[in-house]
Amino acid sequence: MLFRFVAFLLTAGVCLGFARSSAAQSGCNLPLAGRITDHESRQGLAGATVIVQPGQQATQTDADGNFHFHVCPGTYQLEVRFIGYATERAEVRLNSATVRNFQLHPDAVTLRGATVRGERVQAPLPQASSSLSGQALQQTRGQALGEALQKLPGVAAIQTGPSIFKPMIHGLHSNRVAIMNNGVRQEGQQWGQEHGPEIDPFIASDLTVVKGAASVRYGTDAVGGVVLVQPKALRDSAGVGADINLVGMSNNGLGAVSAAVDGNLRRLPALSWRLQGTLKQAGNTRTPDYRLDNTGFREHNFSAAVGWRKDNYGVEAFYSQFNSRLGILSSAIVGNRADLEAAIARGRPILNPGFSYQIDRPYQQLQHDLAKLSGFVKTGNGGRLTATVANQRDYRDEYDVIRASSDAGRRNLPQLSYQNYTTTADVVWEHPTLGNFRGSVGLSGTYQFNRYAGGTRQFIPFYTNRTEGAFVIERWQHERLLLEAGLRLDHRDLRTRRLTRGFETDSSSFYGVARNRFQFWTPSASVGAVYDANVHLTLRADAALVQRAPAANERYSQGVHGGIYEEGYDISRPAGTLPLQPETSYNLGLTATLHDNPRLNGELTVYQNIINGYIYQVIGEPITTIQGSFLPWRFQQTDAVFRGVDATLDYQLAANWLLNGKAAVIRARNRTLNDYLIYVPADRFELSVRRDWAGQKAARASQFFALVRGTAVRRQTRVPSAEYDPQPAPNGYGLLGAEVGATLRLGGTPVEVSLAGSNLLNERYRDYLNRFRYFADDMGRNVTLRVHVPLNFSPN
Amino acid sequence: MKTSLFRPFAALLLATPLFFASCSDDSDPEPEDDNEFITTIRYRLTPTSGTGQAITAEWKDVDGAGGTAPTISTITLAPNTTYTGTVEFLDETKTPADNITEEVKEENYEHLVVYTPNPTSLMTITRTDKDRNNLEVGLTTTVQTGAAASGNLTIRLRHQPGTKDGTEAPGSDDANVTFPVVLR
Repeated sequence: MLFRFVAFLLTAGVCLGFARSSAAQSGCNLPLAGRITDHESRQGLAGATVIVQPGQQATQTDADGNFHFHVCPGTYQLEVRFIGYATERAEVRLNSATVRNFQLHPDAVTLRGATVRGERVQAPLPQASSSLSGQALQQTRGQALGEALQKLPGVAAIQTGPSIFKPMIHGLHSNRVAIMNNGVRQEGQQWGQEHGPEIDPFIASDLTVVKGAASVRYGTDAVGGVVLVQPKALRDSAGVGADINLVGMSNNGLGAVSAAVDGNLRRLPALSWRLQGTLKQAGNTRTPDYRLDNTGFREHNFSAAVGWRKDNYGVEAFYSQFNSRLGILSSAIVGNRADLEAAIARGRPILNPGFSYQIDRPYQQLQHDLAKLSGFVKTGNGGRLTATVANQRDYRDEYDVIRASSDAGRRNLPQLSYQNYTTTADVVWEHPTLGNFRGSVGLSGTYQFNRYAGGTRQFIPFYTNRTEGAFVIERWQHERLLLEAGLRLDHRDLRTRRLTRGFETDSSSFYGVARNRFQFWTPSASVGAVYDANVHLTLRADAALVQRAPAANERYSQGVHGGIYEEGYDISRPAGTLPLQPETSYNLGLTATLHDNPRLNGELTVYQNIINGYIYQVIGEPITTIQGSFLPWRFQQTDAVFRGVDATLDYQLAANWLLNGKAAVIRARNRTLNDYLIYVPADRFELSVRRDWAGQKAARASQFFALVRGTAVRRQTRVPSAEYDPQPAPNGYGLLGAEVGATLRLGGTPVEVSLAGSNLLNERYRDYLNRFRYFADDMGRNVTLRVHVPLNFSPN
Repeated sequence: MKTSLFRPFAALLLATPLFFASCSDDSDPEPEDDNEFITTIRYRLTPTSGTGQAITAEWKDVDGAGGTAPTISTITLAPNTTYTGTVEFLDETKTPADNITEEVKEENYEHLVVYTPNPTSLMTITRTDKDRNNLEVGLTTTVQTGAAASGNLTIRLRHQPGTKDGTEAPGSDDANVTFPVVLR
């Protein structure tokens, strides 16, 4: 039924769009600015020519590579030319002050035809956001997604040993962070703290984190923020290109190969395609004093995309598969409370193995498939209708230690085996400009069901989850001020089926199925503003209200999982009390950004997030089982508040010397108990100095750089007194890192090579948010070699 | 208006039900058990001499963690008497009950049964069986009781794959139960 509605909307939207195509325009004073830099050295290019079409406005960049225009709202072709560099063109749709930077690739001769098509420039967000792309992203190649994102201020990760990183934004994670994988909300077993996102980060050419509630656009799970994993746009110039990444690490013997090939046919310029694949393997991680047994992992991933794109419409089909096997440190899978306390008292794992790639029980075996079909139609001047349908399958098998001669051991069965199937459909119509107004309306639907395999533990019950949402976001832009307001309404219908066991008087057991259904309507609303105080200073403010209906695990998880006994709220809630209720978040963020200055640039964000009915886990009274006494982690609701500051600063010390600093500080309180909240990131600071040597563009080796980085993490002293943590927060620590790199010219191909070292002083440390901190130290010294080879096989 | 623009969209929308059709959802959870479960521990004690009675103590929890409380019997023994003990681990959710002891015996080189009386003067328990590496296992024991007293006995089945060294430290508890003990 939803889809009939969608079809209706598509038809109505397109007709409306064409009728409006001649809507009047006004406000021809929009600033369009940017900086032209060298892709490798990141130095500004003075005297580059920038042309805006239509209108034939042209200008030259100043001494630092900056340019400015003032134009009417609309769609423009920007062209940037500079001798010795490939000309770049980009399509820019303007409805507000826009900054569009270009990084030019040197040597037009060898890179001919590698035209970078401008991706659509999104309207500026009132929330703070940070991105990793280009060389910054290159410096994270080989890392897990959640590990790479820690480079961004305000983004931390809940870590389970060296291979599993769960992104945490402003202190919130799991059900409160939406991950958009190529435009589709990632769905699977996202709830588990030791479940990393099932995404190959090599697929991304851009990783963006929206910090703060973006629920109106991305759904109720985006209370804490959104991670956007964006692949490169499909190639739009004739020819075939390839991109090869090689990574090797000294500490755990990690080797990774990732390659992407994309092409565009000269005879069918609308048709583009891309194939991409990654192989990755790592062995036992080494801490300064010992190796961690069974901490290897392997991954093999691939994706394929094909698109048909005309000026006024386009369709794209995308498929990706992610496969991973992650070994878990066997000492970290303790059973009962006595084992946990003994492991903590021991201070280090009992095994001290050599290096090995072998993975034994306990391990996780994951597979995630995503199939996506999306398309757009331009509806008149500036209007655009986009539709996306996606199907995801997620398999997660967890293999714990088992008696090999038991029936399950003989058949090598997992103890936990979840299957999750999700279909999502989204339609968004961006209406054409109406006076100073631009905006979009959208519908989204999710149908999801979750299973566990026969013969495995019921940890999460069978459930089906249907959500339908509708939203509208309107933006009003006048000169340097943009105001945004959004409204959303979601309906979640969660049905669960739990297997229950009863007992006859003779103690023989019988089974039943307990069925429950929970339906909630949850509203979201947001207002925001972006104000360009001048061309170098942008101020943002946003306020949001979000309600989120509880997920199945918060209600009905029950059992031992990864050595921890967990219990959902509705399992043990007292008779006669209400089931778990939606949580309500009041989010406020203020950001000031200094940008495109010759010397000093930076960003400061302050935020506050009040969450009433915050759903979190508390360790309860020990329960007795045949395996001994367990500490149950029970879901409870409380009123919480998160406040924090993120800051970044770039200072050009001298020509080719860049100083960069980052800081993230967060305070979280349990307002009901008037106490701190558990597992909140400790204060984190980072400082780096970078030196660049541009060198001769055509030389055998050029674009040298070197940087030194210090990271300091304070001890988390703000821990709850009322809640039990098996071990106090570990000490603070400081880590030293360094990186050197250059571009080598091999047969006309610019090959980027870099060598990066982390924890160079081989310091022993443990991080508060690493779940292995009870059992072992963190990773010791590690040196990473990265090689990036872009290839291009253009005609002519 | 160009109707051709709609073709890709029409195709997309028509394909949607196919996505849905592939995900039918009508099954209920099957009553199939956890694949590695211990519900019951039995400790059988037979006096080697004298007139004392043979007893079998049982610790049983058929519904696993949470739910109904376990049933625990008291070990009542004669003071200053020698017994031979055998321990059994069962999964009684299966019919007939699954005897886990057999699996433990088969992999005795990675299991160790640990007996901890409290107070320690209550009884002395000696493991009498060994694995292929000549390390003790503890499925069979001799028990020498002390003077009349009461206390308790903790029995732990340690699973120590690849780490068994004769001590109780490595590995984790597959079972960990405590019986009340009376010597009279």
